[in-house]
Amino acid sequence: MATLARPSAPAPVGTHIGQVTQVIGSTFDVEFPEDSLPAIYNAVKIASEHKGIKVELTGEVQQHLGGGRVRCVALGGTDGMVRGQDCIDTGKPVTVPVGKATLGRVFNLIGEPVDGRGPVEAEDYWSIHRDAPDITDLSTKTELFETGIKVIDLLTPFVRGGKAGLFGGAGLGKTVILTELIARIASAHGGYSVFAGVGERTREGTDLWLEMQEAKIGDTGRSVIEQTCMVFGQMNEPPGARLRVALSALTMAEYFRDTTGADTLLFIDNIFRFSQAGSEVSALLGRMPSAVGYQPTLATEMGALQERIASTSKGAITSVQAVYVPADDPTDPAPATAFGNLDAFLYLERSISEKGIYPAVDPLASSSRILDPQYVGERHYAIARRVQRTLQRYRELQDIIAILGVDELSEQDKLIVHRARRMERFLSQPFLVAEVFTGKPGEITSLADTIRSFEEIADGKWDHLPENAFMYVGPIEQADEQGKKLAQKK
Amino acid sequence: MAKARALDKRRKSIRNIRKITRTMELIATARFKKAMDRAHAATAYTERITSLVADLAHAGLEVSHPLLEGRDEVRHAILLVITGNRGLCGGYNSNVQRVALPRWRELAEAVPSMLEISGKRGIAAFKFREIMPDETFIHFEDKPSFEEVELLANRYLDEYVTGNLDRLDVAYTRFESMSRQVATVETLLPLGELAAGPAEPAGGPAAQGEAGARQAGTQYEFLPSAQSILEEVVPTSFKVKLFKCFLDAAVSEQIARMVAMKAATENADKIIKKLSMTYNRARQSQITSEIMEVLGGVEALKK
Repeated sequence: MATLARPSAPAPVGTHIGQVTQVIGSTFDVEFPEDSLPAIYNAVKIASEHKGIKVELTGEVQQHLGGGRVRCVALGGTDGMVRGQDCIDTGKPVTVPVGKATLGRVFNLIGEPVDGRGPVEAEDYWSIHRDAPDITDLSTKTELFETGIKVIDLLTPFVRGGKAGLFGGAGLGKTVILTELIARIASAHGGYSVFAGVGERTREGTDLWLEMQEAKIGDTGRSVIEQTCMVFGQMNEPPGARLRVALSALTMAEYFRDTTGADTLLFIDNIFRFSQAGSEVSALLGRMPSAVGYQPTLATEMGALQERIASTSKGAITSVQAVYVPADDPTDPAPATAFGNLDAFLYLERSISEKGIYPAVDPLASSSRILDPQYVGERHYAIARRVQRTLQRYRELQDIIAILGVDELSEQDKLIVHRARRMERFLSQPFLVAEVFTGKPGEITSLADTIRSFEEIADGKWDHLPENAFMYVGPIEQADEQGKKLAQKK
Repeated sequence: MAKARALDKRRKSIRNIRKITRTMELIATARFKKAMDRAHAATAYTERITSLVADLAHAGLEVSHPLLEGRDEVRHAILLVITGNRGLCGGYNSNVQRVALPRWRELAEAVPSMLEISGKRGIAAFKFREIMPDETFIHFEDKPSFEEVELLANRYLDEYVTGNLDRLDVAYTRFESMSRQVATVETLLPLGELAAGPAEPAGGPAAQGEAGARQAGTQYEFLPSAQSILEEVVPTSFKVKLFKCFLDAAVSEQIARMVAMKAATENADKIIKKLSMTYNRARQSQITSEIMEVLGGVEALKK
């Protein structure tokens, strides 16, 4: 499909009008005069009425088809569109309001507030399509980002100014962990936070919004929402919206990073929906599907988004992204592509959640770039590896145990199994946001406590405690207490 | 493909394990029958000896024999632990260890004691806990011979008589019935309890009743004297008892192995079934997605 006009040719602003010639699902074609084609990624607007049905829609130019026709992705519903409707080229890509005025507000992907609190007086509007920072501007600092969650801090330490991914199948608690991280990090964090809701349940977005209003930042008395802006393009939105909403949120975060220099947090739930939306529109745009029916441009799209989430010498964006894993198959192209872009990734495993251990992080499949003695220190590294070794051995033995029973193991292996089962349970932890489910107040465990606790378990200091004592506690002393309580009950 | 292949590999390895466990089950069944016959044969003899000693005791004679008298002060004790040489028999070995360990700690704390272990499994288990046995035997297989046990028994008897040994405990698995074997610790020396009554543990109530009936009706004449007969019978009774421990252990081991291997084979079957299902599903879904891709490509090229 040849591109006739060079996209770099500057188009005069908001003057050219074309006519809709074709509507296919959430894509549509518009015919413009041959000499005034809108550039690729330009926003086009339709605002007209036909037989009493009002259509107000923004679209984004994706392809030049030749003969003055361009193919656009609709960023809203295409219901009621008819051929022949007027379509205005805005002359620039979609822009979103940025700056402090956006804090505390909720937007849709084209930057319109949807929280019913009136218009936003933004200091500036930025295009959602931007270049990734230059390689020379990228920050090279590597620093551990403590979360107070044992399994994360020990095995998959987050990087300040880095990207962390939460991979998991349906219903394993990705959103819960993400919400928990918001509750933990954002409330202790001085900078700004941006939340992008991409193709997930609308209810979850509302819950989060209400929760953020209640949550307070440290002792300042201000609520978290005052330092946060949220952008939603949830499940009910057409694929075009879900495809671009992450970019809108990212643009707002980039503004905070580049102009205020503040440390900015970017939460995305769920990045898989971004790829999924891309695949939905890809076929409609006439691209040949690639592996497993995904768009051939899967890696390009993901790369363009992920490369922009970067920390520069001006400021840092620390990002946490949930990644849905379809059919629990991590080799699916969508999660596999997201995977390569991350510094730390947590893989949530169904067999662990089936044991009732939450967060259901798979300690062997998850890892972090900075789990390296150079960054976290020799002791942390050694203990994390020791825990992984023990759990690895336990997993290897599981088939034998399933067939022959635990009695057939050698004494050494029995001891490993004994400790591994305790470690496995000790990786669970009560969450602040899950208090209503667990009935236990959330537990923030310092990294030092976490390391010490696991070292002691590995050394066999707590072999005498029953397995249940290790469930849902903070540092090891609480397991001891819980063990005593359990013993009393008996 | 990676997933399907990994599943297939796992299934193969479990099939191999299943082959082994199934074979072990059959071997154990055959060995169990032989061991059972031997134990049966020995049981009749043991019961007779036991009731004879009991009769002697009840004959109103002045019975005195060093083996029958308890020592007031226990200065040296021996704990003999009977385990198997081989694994793959479920909880057989660890059950014996479980009863033997506390008894050993108790003995070792009280008096200078000797630990003697038969069976590689038991030796390894105690060594792992850093308890070094003073004597080990690995030649008692599933057919312990009386001669071998007698050697051991004579040594104990000698030491007991010379005063180097005041108490002998044996930890082994007692065979009660096909479905019940109990790991237990019994005190074989001094033999005191044996003479006191016919309540030989393995004999059960039936033997007791029998002995009781006989006691009323049977009159013995002792030639040349009760004492000389006692001197012969009491050590034999001990030897037979010790022999019975070994026989019981051998039978129990085979039963345990049979049961454990049967369960293992069944478990393996279950896992193979589950893996086959997952494998087929993975394979099918992979084929489906490949067809879809080809068709999708064709469709896209049609324009």
